[in-house]
Amino acid sequence: MSMAVEAEQLVKRFTGRSGTVDAVRGVDLQVAEGEVFGFLGPNGAGKSTTVRMLTTLMTITSGSARVAGVDVAADPDAARRSIGVALQEAGLDPRQTGRELLVLQARLFGSSAAQAADRAQELLELVDLVDAADRRIKGYSGGMKRRLDLASALVHQPQVLFLDEPTTGLDPASRLTVWDEMRRINGQGTTVFLTTQYLEEADQLCNRLAIIDDGLIVREGTPDELKAELRQRKSLDRDPTLDEVFLDATGRSRERVAGQVQEVL
Amino acid sequence: MTQFWELSKRAVRETLRTPESLFPTVFIPLFFLVVNVGQAGRIFPSGSTSFLEGQSYAAFQLPSAILLAASFGSAALYLVEDIEGGYFDKLRASPVSRSAIVLGRLTAEAGKIIAISAVLVLAALPFGISIASGLLGFVLLLILAACWSVVFSGFMQLIALKTRSAAATQSGSLVFFPLLFLTPNFVPRDLLTRPMEIAATFNPVTYVMEALRSLILEDLAWARIGRGFAVVAVAGIAMVALNVRTIRAYD
Repeated sequence: MSMAVEAEQLVKRFTGRSGTVDAVRGVDLQVAEGEVFGFLGPNGAGKSTTVRMLTTLMTITSGSARVAGVDVAADPDAARRSIGVALQEAGLDPRQTGRELLVLQARLFGSSAAQAADRAQELLELVDLVDAADRRIKGYSGGMKRRLDLASALVHQPQVLFLDEPTTGLDPASRLTVWDEMRRINGQGTTVFLTTQYLEEADQLCNRLAIIDDGLIVREGTPDELKAELRQRKSLDRDPTLDEVFLDATGRSRERVAGQVQEVL
Repeated sequence: MTQFWELSKRAVRETLRTPESLFPTVFIPLFFLVVNVGQAGRIFPSGSTSFLEGQSYAAFQLPSAILLAASFGSAALYLVEDIEGGYFDKLRASPVSRSAIVLGRLTAEAGKIIAISAVLVLAALPFGISIASGLLGFVLLLILAACWSVVFSGFMQLIALKTRSAAATQSGSLVFFPLLFLTPNFVPRDLLTRPMEIAATFNPVTYVMEALRSLILEDLAWARIGRGFAVVAVAGIAMVALNVRTIRAYD
């Protein structure tokens, strides 16, 4: 099976006035083509740093990463042509209209003016933003912005779609809409690399997932495999939830979480 | 080229959709022009002041106003907004030439300064100011002002890329004031005190100001004009190169 994402001993070290911080300390990942892969971890665990390295947004201190078969450090532009990226902050320009943003994005990926206009219209229909297409983005709701961000990541029909906490801050209805979009995109053959803090989301959407803590992968497998492993190891008389798997993997207990809410939110 | 053109169009749209940001760029230079001329105009009557070449002191001061207008660097503030809002990362994650990202915005800034400089010159015409170098000189004046705006906006974009902070970037524009006051701002260089003359000689803004001033007061003085264009060419290339390098290494 060919791999959509591969990382070997990926390391990111930040050096500042106050010293050196190893945000990612040797991550190995393999994501097969067509998967929805969940990447979980508490705040500061190294999720976003890993995603930023995989999407060429951050330099790699050591190790290697390939996305869609392309070495992201050696040929970043080729990697960029193969990936779509929607980061935590919806990367939108509030002064443009939704249509202008999508047309510009398509033009930047090499579409002709006519192709870009057609693709923008197609995507606006897809994410149900036709009515708002010619309004400036600053007037969009959070859910609309998220859907537009998702659409802008799809203009060039990427092989791998990176979604960094795409539903954070959305109301339940908008969250379900984004889930539907993800399923539909994945159904068309796009590999989805999803980071999320919502374990229910990972349980619902992901074929496989990895949990990162303190810069290292501490669990990897399908949701069912991870639950079964915990049930067996702890001799539980019921299937644990993914929350329990997460808490076990990251060394956090419910009591500690209750006292340190920020660590997991 | 398509990427550069599309990003320039986007930056122009951005400017046109925030007309309120244009107001200080026009008003403050006009304010300084009026105040400086009001304070020193009577010291330098046009009839007996040889360096005015028969024009009013306002003609001598107009280049300062144009340079000030070209040194607001609002392109850099839009860049900070892009960085803070995540759109800059969206661009970086696309196969877009880093030069296009830098030049797209700077070209739009240059276009804006051409328009604003033309407005300032046109506003000055009813007060007896004329462009002694004629139409060609007027065009060269607009181009030189636009090139200076590229240099200064490039400098401010560097601050934006390094600090990612609107406050730090905004304060970067204040750097222009010491540069402006270390030029032959009120009198020609040979009338400055010796320390000020030395400082002005080492200040690159001096040569841009002298080139602009010669276009207003004299017929085409190519040596002076050439020095002004040489300064903006060297500084402009340096700023664009540093911006591109900073974006490539941006983490």
